[in-house]
Amino acid sequence: MIKLKSVYKDYKIDNELTFQALKNINLTIKQGEFSSIMGPSGSGKSTLMHLIGLLDKPTKGKILIEDKDISTLSDDKLSSLRNEFVGFVFQQFNLINRYTVLENVILPTMYAKRQLSFDPTKRAEELLKSVGILEKKDSYPNKISGGQQQRVAIARALMMKPKLILADEPTGNVDTKTGIEIMKILKELNIKEKITIVLVTHEKDIASQSKRIINIKDGIII
Amino acid sequence: MKTFIFFFKSALFNFARNKMRTLLTSLGILIGVLSVILLIALGLGFKKYIDQQFESLAPNLLRILPGTILEGGGFRGSPGLSTTRFDEEDFIDLKKVQEAEYVVPAFTKSVVATVGKEAELADIYSSSAEIFDVLNLSATDGKLFTKEDVDKRSKVVVLGPKIAEKLFKRKDLSLDRFVKIEKQRFKVIGVLKSFGGGFGGPDLDSYIYMPYKTGYLLNKDKKFIAFVVKVKEGIELSVAKKELNDALLKNYEEDEFSIVEQTELVNAISSIFNVLNSVLVAIAGISLVVGGIGIMNIMYVTVTERIKEIGIRRAIGARRSDILNQFLVESVVLSLFGGILGLLLAWIIVFFVQRFFPAYINATTVIIAIGVSTAIGVVFGVFPARKAAELSPIEAIRYE
Repeated sequence: MIKLKSVYKDYKIDNELTFQALKNINLTIKQGEFSSIMGPSGSGKSTLMHLIGLLDKPTKGKILIEDKDISTLSDDKLSSLRNEFVGFVFQQFNLINRYTVLENVILPTMYAKRQLSFDPTKRAEELLKSVGILEKKDSYPNKISGGQQQRVAIARALMMKPKLILADEPTGNVDTKTGIEIMKILKELNIKEKITIVLVTHEKDIASQSKRIINIKDGIII
Repeated sequence: MKTFIFFFKSALFNFARNKMRTLLTSLGILIGVLSVILLIALGLGFKKYIDQQFESLAPNLLRILPGTILEGGGFRGSPGLSTTRFDEEDFIDLKKVQEAEYVVPAFTKSVVATVGKEAELADIYSSSAEIFDVLNLSATDGKLFTKEDVDKRSKVVVLGPKIAEKLFKRKDLSLDRFVKIEKQRFKVIGVLKSFGGGFGGPDLDSYIYMPYKTGYLLNKDKKFIAFVVKVKEGIELSVAKKELNDALLKNYEEDEFSIVEQTELVNAISSIFNVLNSVLVAIAGISLVVGGIGIMNIMYVTVTERIKEIGIRRAIGARRSDILNQFLVESVVLSLFGGILGLLLAWIIVFFVQRFFPAYINATTVIIAIGVSTAIGVVFGVFPARKAAELSPIEAIRYE
């Protein structure tokens, strides 16, 4: 489903210095996989996730999504792919505090360019129910706990029925018990809904719960 | 549409959270729209007033004034600055013109009028009996002076209602009483019906009218400042104008006098006013630009405050154009809010002004107000909105 072919990512620090975040990455992620990208902080794992999630473009190399080279796609096309194909779950939850929980979950449908096959409010409520926080649907994100916010973020990521979920340290800002529950939800999504999941983490315990571990260090897959 | 409503709601929410900021920013547009609308309303009112004056004027009147007044539809000099004064000889020459039904001389002078111990500043208007016909004036109390009064140099006056009230407290008490002007006593024989108006022109209700020959008592060199000529029925004004012109050319140079139609005069006044009003509206328009800059400023602040949010939206699929539209909607709503408040305030002020002056707001003005505030929202919102739209998703979402 996703192929990275000799991908490099450089960051310019100043005019002369560049930092190589990723070096010659070759990676294939198959449909239905549950893989973890594991590495210490600064290893380039988040950069890799951002590339897979179409938030950023590689300096060199090719990224193919369902055999389409994304470097040929326009910004609008990439936006549409992010909207329909990928669902993000961030460490910082990244909910919009001005909107209620329900509105946050509905938000991706506002950017849908295609006719939706479902009723947004109904689907959002179902998703909130499935992650167990339907009763908080009219609360604002800053009024609920971190664990609850992460559930909302998962519901939002699922809203557009994505094929891929990218989770960047999803358990990083919640307590251990909630972390276990979040992982349980992700595992269920992988098994029951056949959603491909790529998890970014620095914790071995978390990574070991996935079927495949991709170790990364200093921008190189080891 | 649903996306628009979502943005709109989001904009309102944002404003509700920053009440003071929103209010202050809108205030700039409010003041701009208010001043522009008020000036337009006054301009419209003046136009209406001029039109009313037009209707009350007899169409077959010509005015003969000293100096060159009109040229190409506008004023050139001021009649007050001209040294030309007409005399009785001119009066006689003009009366000989076949096309004129009658010729009315006019002399005005500012004097002190006394009744008992009360003294008031007043303007004398001395003329012949036809002046009341020319000016469309009639008496409510007593009578008007006649041709005999002129010929017999009767020491009588007819008072405008305003001056009558000033001098005698109650205008009906003024009949048959005497007014002292420059040591002469004049008997009040009539009080005029109120003419109204008086804006931008002579106040006909405040004059003391006097037979012109009686007026020689106050006008020792027997000069006139103007003539009004009524042209006979069925004769072209231009024909009469030429004859009158020829009559005066015997004694004067071409540029020493002017013969104008009433309508020309009104048009000239109104064209001057229109220019003046346009200039004022343009100056008021500058405040709209200032208001727009205020909006731009606050929109830049808003964009910077919400970089993270922009990143989140981009991550879940917002296109550049979605972000652009979101911030444009916000700045238009902000500007429109100020514009509508300004319009409402202008409407309230005009409502009170209408007691004194026929100012009004028409549909075009409302459309201008709404259109201009929308346009300002777009023009001054587009740069901040573009800044927001062009942020790279990854940098925006990483922003703390």
